[in-house]
Amino acid sequence: MKSEGPGRKYEAIVIGAGHNGLVTAAYLAKAGYRTLVVERRPLLGGAAASEEIFPGFKVDTGSFDAGLFRPEILADLNLVNKDLEFIESPAIAFAPQPDSRSLTIWEDRARTQKELARFSQQDAHRYPDFLQLLEKMASLVASAMTLTPPTIPDYRSAELMPWLKVALKLKRLGKQEMMEFLRLLPMPVTDFLDEWFESPALKGLLGSVGVLGSMQGPRASGTAFMLLYQAIGGGTKGSRGRRSVRGGMGRLAEALADAARQKGADLRTGTGAAQIVVQSERAVGVLLETGEQIPARVIISNASPRHTFFDLVGADKLEVQFVREVKNIRYRGCLARLILALDGLPRFKAMTSETGEESQRLSSRVTICPDLDYLERAYDEAKYGSFSRQPYLDIAIPTILDPSLAPPGKHLMLINIQYAPYHLAEGDWTQQQEALGKAVIEALEAYAPGIRDLIIHSLVLTPLDLEKRFGLPEGCIFHGQMGLDQLLFMRPVPGYGRYRTPIENLFLCGAGTHPGGGVTGAPGYNAAREVIRDLKSRRDDR
Amino acid sequence: MVNKYDAIVIGGGHNGLVNAAYLARAGLKVLVLERRSVLGGASVTEEVFPGFKFSVFSYVVSLFRPEIVRDLNLPAHGLTILPLESTLTPLPNGDRLYRNGDHYRTMREIARFSPRDADIYEDYSHAMYFMAKAVKYILGIVPPNPSSLHPEDMNSLYRLAKHFLGLGEEQLFTLTRLMTMSSADFLERWFESEPLKGTMSASGIIGTFLGPRSPGSAYVLLHHYMGEIDGVFRSWGFSKGGTGGLSQSIAQAAQSFGAEIRTNATVAQVIVRHAKAAGIVLENGDEIFADKVISSLDPKQTFLNLLDPNQLPDDLVTAIRKFNTQGSSGKVNLALDALPQFACWPRPGPHLRGAISISPSVDYIERAFDQAKYGDFSHRPYIDIVIPSMIDPDMAPPGKHVLSCFVQYAPYHLQEGDWESRREEFGEAVVDTLAEYIPNIRDIILYRQVLSPWDIEQTVGLTEGNIFQGELSLWQLFFLRPAAGYARFRTPIRDYYQCGSGTHPGGGITGAPGRLAALEILKDWKQ
Repeated sequence: MKSEGPGRKYEAIVIGAGHNGLVTAAYLAKAGYRTLVVERRPLLGGAAASEEIFPGFKVDTGSFDAGLFRPEILADLNLVNKDLEFIESPAIAFAPQPDSRSLTIWEDRARTQKELARFSQQDAHRYPDFLQLLEKMASLVASAMTLTPPTIPDYRSAELMPWLKVALKLKRLGKQEMMEFLRLLPMPVTDFLDEWFESPALKGLLGSVGVLGSMQGPRASGTAFMLLYQAIGGGTKGSRGRRSVRGGMGRLAEALADAARQKGADLRTGTGAAQIVVQSERAVGVLLETGEQIPARVIISNASPRHTFFDLVGADKLEVQFVREVKNIRYRGCLARLILALDGLPRFKAMTSETGEESQRLSSRVTICPDLDYLERAYDEAKYGSFSRQPYLDIAIPTILDPSLAPPGKHLMLINIQYAPYHLAEGDWTQQQEALGKAVIEALEAYAPGIRDLIIHSLVLTPLDLEKRFGLPEGCIFHGQMGLDQLLFMRPVPGYGRYRTPIENLFLCGAGTHPGGGVTGAPGYNAAREVIRDLKSRRDDR
Repeated sequence: MVNKYDAIVIGGGHNGLVNAAYLARAGLKVLVLERRSVLGGASVTEEVFPGFKFSVFSYVVSLFRPEIVRDLNLPAHGLTILPLESTLTPLPNGDRLYRNGDHYRTMREIARFSPRDADIYEDYSHAMYFMAKAVKYILGIVPPNPSSLHPEDMNSLYRLAKHFLGLGEEQLFTLTRLMTMSSADFLERWFESEPLKGTMSASGIIGTFLGPRSPGSAYVLLHHYMGEIDGVFRSWGFSKGGTGGLSQSIAQAAQSFGAEIRTNATVAQVIVRHAKAAGIVLENGDEIFADKVISSLDPKQTFLNLLDPNQLPDDLVTAIRKFNTQGSSGKVNLALDALPQFACWPRPGPHLRGAISISPSVDYIERAFDQAKYGDFSHRPYIDIVIPSMIDPDMAPPGKHVLSCFVQYAPYHLQEGDWESRREEFGEAVVDTLAEYIPNIRDIILYRQVLSPWDIEQTVGLTEGNIFQGELSLWQLFFLRPAAGYARFRTPIRDYYQCGSGTHPGGGITGAPGRLAALEILKDWKQ
């Protein structure tokens, strides 16, 4: 095997510069390991990147929410400096209703209660207690995020120790709340919300959070857990809105990359990995698309389990049973993206002189999801293979708080469309792409008349596009559905929940591992810890 | 005030009867009080139409615990189970999928739809057999309390963990999947042909408000797999005399141990004195005293009707109010003038002695579920059909038949109208569906009985017509059934117990809650 360049030998190669891969690389470099990151695309960040897809516009083509990013990583890597700034709106979510009313959830609890009271006095009254519960439960989930799942069933005590701390934290909540947490974990978000609230608008808004990215409706078991997952980082506010990065999500990737480079890591974009070189069931290096082969002691893949095992390793190098398991991972992308460059701010019907503070409200998570049945019906259509004619829309207008993203006076509207199932009953996504875009713009027109006339540029990313662009199998933004059977020791496949793979020296660090998706950095953080642990134990052996 | 009885059991359903039998067997003086004139609760046989005996509500037996059959010597009291030999899935195009105990024949049948499915069918059956065995342990234990630091509870938790971790990787992973996945997704890991997947996924939705694509329905699949008849897992049977025959045998066993059973006796309230149960008051005002009172009714009735909720801690009242009991199933019982002729198999044959499942595909059932979600009954429902008279000729006059349809979905809460006024419309939808597969059905119906969830509630007292006394969802099972901290058959009121399906291990005609509760009561009695 040739080694790269004049004498530069790598101990670790990270395949893929998605945010998790960059986190892993930064930690490895920080620990003193010579690390190389290879990224197929010309830019960093994967599905958390910024691209100038329209001239003059800096577009977050993937995720537009950095609110889940682990504070431990920000602290450890010293990321928050003048180059990385997070922005939050005083409004958490804005939910226009079909009857032209609207509901806004503010960071300010009292303000929120006042708005809620217009829908339901009871809900306004219960809201603070709900937030308190959410905060406690979400914080439990958060503490589990940065832990490596134990091997089940043959765990070693050392693997369980960190989890015992979470168990103790759970126990310390007190009997009632402990049981409530266990009870909530498998619940559907509808059941959970029905226990607390009566207003369809509030439940629609909160319920939507429980299904974003999941090919399930709000009545599905496991969606209350997703609500908790998304609520992490809300701190004492309980719930949280979207957290943007000034200058675009790409800045987060760049900050991570800088942290890695500062500690000596090399990052190469426009450099795709073609193969992970395996000899005698051991990963020994990476073969690039250029034909160049680079050896390393460990290889860490930020790519999806599907791409890693089938494309980079090859099914022939793996046992039949393992191949079957990887093949059966449920991806089921259900999200599409519509990106609009607008010649001004859209005017929502639900914005009256009474509501005011238009730009504040619009700078939050604008959510089209008037009630839970609306959401469930949207899911019904997708179940049978068509995109929702009345979709759930999760909208960001990041240019309100960060005008640097667009030319003066112009705006960007980033829209997550649910449901747009990867598997269509009729036709395919190249045929349906335009129809999807039209359907969404029509849906938007109903809430914001005249928006059509503001459109300067538009781009629809169907699940197929997401798959091609970001390497997300079936367009699934989580690298695998986050149903209860695909979490913890079952993620990405049972028995391989500890970032390791059947190939020695090959690790996974992407969202396909615990804890799953979202821009959390947690999979990358955990994987790095496991890689370092393995490398250290080997160093001692020598 | 002399206590006339050691124990009063409220409700003569199968769990109440089992509970009474075990207590009487241990020497207690037991009185069972049943509101109706017939015993059995939802396991009852009634001659609704002269000469025709219907298993009005529940219709097959499989999950009944064999240890209860042994302990109470039920065969000596008339219990006879006649096995259901097959499952037929008629298809809209006139084809059919037929599976029975003839192993090779079944595989050849399945192979007509998918050779791959035929190959893997046996592996699947084995896997489920071992899963059912693994989980069987749970059916016989009192749920531990995970929030308790009491040594007995911690020990129980430890043993539970040890049992499951000891299953080994493959079984544990399969079990995890069964506890969390949808029945459709779970089955899709094994099978590809729609009639097979549809029919098998149906076991995952029976009695629940779930569709085959709802996560959590795979657990219900497993639950229904845990049936044992004579040691053979997953075989369903028909009780001679209908499911009422089973209830009668338990009642007779109880009486043989000295238990007293009174019908037409409606309990209005439990008498509580100094935070202790002291007896009951009947609707007519009569008071009957006992050292212990056991309710076999569903949790809402047990806690909110038979007691004054002010006597209970707030957390329990809240939890019971939240306890999901929405019924989703209905029943249509038909008296027939002749044999039904299936388009896919018109001549009389063994298929008529088994179950017939209207479940041609997963989507068929899922669409039926979709309607129910928004408060309508399914216009093309899932139907599980048995023809009891083909297995037990005593159920109908010679040459005539009874046909039992278990139907899903029929939501208790209708968006439009109510069940009183729409009952027959529902019955029509069922018959319309039957007519698609049984062309002669309309010509031979002599009498039709339609039971909506509302009727189930009104007749046998199951709140909201939920046949399991509460949804079988993960957050309502085991140590959460019916509420956290109250899952061990006791209640906050000393000497007041619960023993119905609203407790562990849940619903189905198992007798398990009745028995487990009795064992706990006897533990307390001895102290």
